[in-house]
Amino acid sequence: MGVAVVAAGQTRFGDHPTSGVKELFGAAVDDLLADAGTAVDLDRIDAAFVGSLSCGQGMQLGNFAPALLDDAGLPPVSALHVENACASGGFAVQQAVQAVASGQYRCVLAAGVEKMRDVSGDKGRYWLGISGDTEYERLAGLTFAGVFALIASRLLHDGAVTREDLARVSVKNHRHAALNPKAHLRRRLTVEDVLAAPVVAAPLGAFDCCPTSDGAACVLVTDSSIAAEFTDRPVEVAGWGSASDSLALHSRADFTRLDAARRAADAAYAMAGVGPDGLDVVEVHDCFTVAELVAYAELGLSSIAEAGARLRAGEFDLGGRLPVNTSGGLKAKGHPIGATGVGQIAELFGQLRGDIAQPERQVPGAEVGLAYNMGGSGASAVVTILRRAAD
Amino acid sequence: MGAHVSVPMYRRTLAARVGLEGRRCDRCSAVSFPPRGACGQCRGRSLTPVRLSGVGTLQAWTYITAAGAPPEFAAQVRRDGGYHVGLVALQEGPRVAGQLVDVSDPEIGQPVRAVVRRLYEEEGVVRYGFKFAPHMGEQLPAEGV
Repeated sequence: MGVAVVAAGQTRFGDHPTSGVKELFGAAVDDLLADAGTAVDLDRIDAAFVGSLSCGQGMQLGNFAPALLDDAGLPPVSALHVENACASGGFAVQQAVQAVASGQYRCVLAAGVEKMRDVSGDKGRYWLGISGDTEYERLAGLTFAGVFALIASRLLHDGAVTREDLARVSVKNHRHAALNPKAHLRRRLTVEDVLAAPVVAAPLGAFDCCPTSDGAACVLVTDSSIAAEFTDRPVEVAGWGSASDSLALHSRADFTRLDAARRAADAAYAMAGVGPDGLDVVEVHDCFTVAELVAYAELGLSSIAEAGARLRAGEFDLGGRLPVNTSGGLKAKGHPIGATGVGQIAELFGQLRGDIAQPERQVPGAEVGLAYNMGGSGASAVVTILRRAAD
Repeated sequence: MGAHVSVPMYRRTLAARVGLEGRRCDRCSAVSFPPRGACGQCRGRSLTPVRLSGVGTLQAWTYITAAGAPPEFAAQVRRDGGYHVGLVALQEGPRVAGQLVDVSDPEIGQPVRAVVRRLYEEEGVVRYGFKFAPHMGEQLPAEGV
C-alpha cells in the first residue's frame, strides 16, 4: 500500500516573540492550507503525531499533542507526542507514514514544534544537554558542541578533513539560507568569517554551530489511493528507515562515525529501491558543521576522505551534482528541535513538486529526495526517501 | 531523566566516579566502563565488578568555553576561562570522556591517568569524579586513584 505526502506547511524559523507553541503550530497549519488550497479538508485527518522535545518551562508538557490539535481546531482524533531528541520531527513523520502503511488510517498529520527563544542561555544549555549521555559525558563538562568537537578533533588529527572543510559546510548552508525566506540566519559568510568566530568547543566556533530557533512544520500524509483527492501533484514516500545507537560517544566502536544514520539509510534505500546515485536533492542533519561531513559518509554520498574535496568542488551546492541542505540546513535555516525533521520533509516536498518560490533555490527537475534527521549525537536517526509521483 | 544529576543519582554512581569500578563480562571478559547494564561487546548481562587502573591514551580532545559549557560548569569557566575535555581509551579496553588537568596543550596519543577532582558544586553538594592528568609512568597508588 503506497503512502504519499499531499501537503506541507511551516513557519519561518527564528524568533517569534509573540507566539507560543500553540500559535506556532497553528501558523504551520495555516501555511499548509495556504499552500495546498481548498482541496485539503483538515476534517479528514484521522490521526496525528507531533514531534517536540518541549524545551524550557511554562508550557504544556503532558497531553501535548491533544492540546495542540484542540487549540488549532483540528478534529479530536488519536494524537501522540513523539520524542527522540532532535529527531523527534523525523520520527513523527515516520510514525504517520507507518500509521497509513498499516492500513489503520488513511490521512494522518505529522507535525513538529519547538519554542526555544524564550529560554535563557543557561537554561538553554541545560535543555540542549538533556538528550546526551547525562550521567557521564555531561559530568565531563560536555554539551553537544563538545561531543561533536571531539569527533572533529579526531577527524582533523587523522587528516580526514581540514578545518576549512568544516567552515565550507557553514558557508554553503548560509548561502542557501540567504535565499530562503523561512530561514533563521540569512547572512552570507566567508570561510574567514567562520574561522575567526569565537570558540565554542575547539575546534568548533560559533559559526560551526546551529542556532536555537522557534518554529513549527507539518505535513499531511495519506494513502496513495486517495492522494488525488487532496492534490494533483502528490509526492510518494518511497522508503524509510530508522535506528538507534549508544548515547555516549565513548560506547561506540568508532566514535567518529554515526552508525545509526548508516543503518537507517540502508533500510530506506533498500525499501525505495534507489541508492545514493539516484538522489537529486538531500536534507541532512547539520547541527554542527562536522556532522554534515560525517553524514555524507553515512548516507553514501561520499567517503569521509573525499568529502572535503567534493565540498570544495561545489558538488553539494545549489547548482552542483547533488545539492545538500537547499533550505540552509539546521546551521542556517535553524533548528527548532521538534520541527526540524518535519521541516526537512516540507523542503523536499517543495523541491520535488518544483514549487520552491525562489528560482535560484529550486533544484531543476528533482525527482528523488532524501531527508536525514538525527537525535542528539546520533543515538537516534531517521531517514526518509521521497519520490515525485509519476504523471 | 533530565540533565540534572540529583544527589541520590550521583551517590549511586560513586563506585565508578571515584573508585573507577567497571564491569567485566562473565561471558566474553570484555570490560565496560562507565558501568552498563549489558556488556558493550557481546551484550551479555552477567557482569562482575572490576577496578580499573585509570591509565589510558588520549584519543580526542576539545577546549570548552562559556558558550559550550553546561550551566553547572559555569563557575569553572568564569574562574578559568574554559577547560579541556578528552576522550580516553583505558588500557583495559573501554573509552570514557573526562576533563584534562595539568595540561595546556594536549596531544592525541599521549598517556594519561585518572585522578579524582572536584567536578562542580550543586544543591550545596560538592561532586567529585575522575579527570585525567598526563601520565609520566609514575607508580600508581595500590588502592587506585
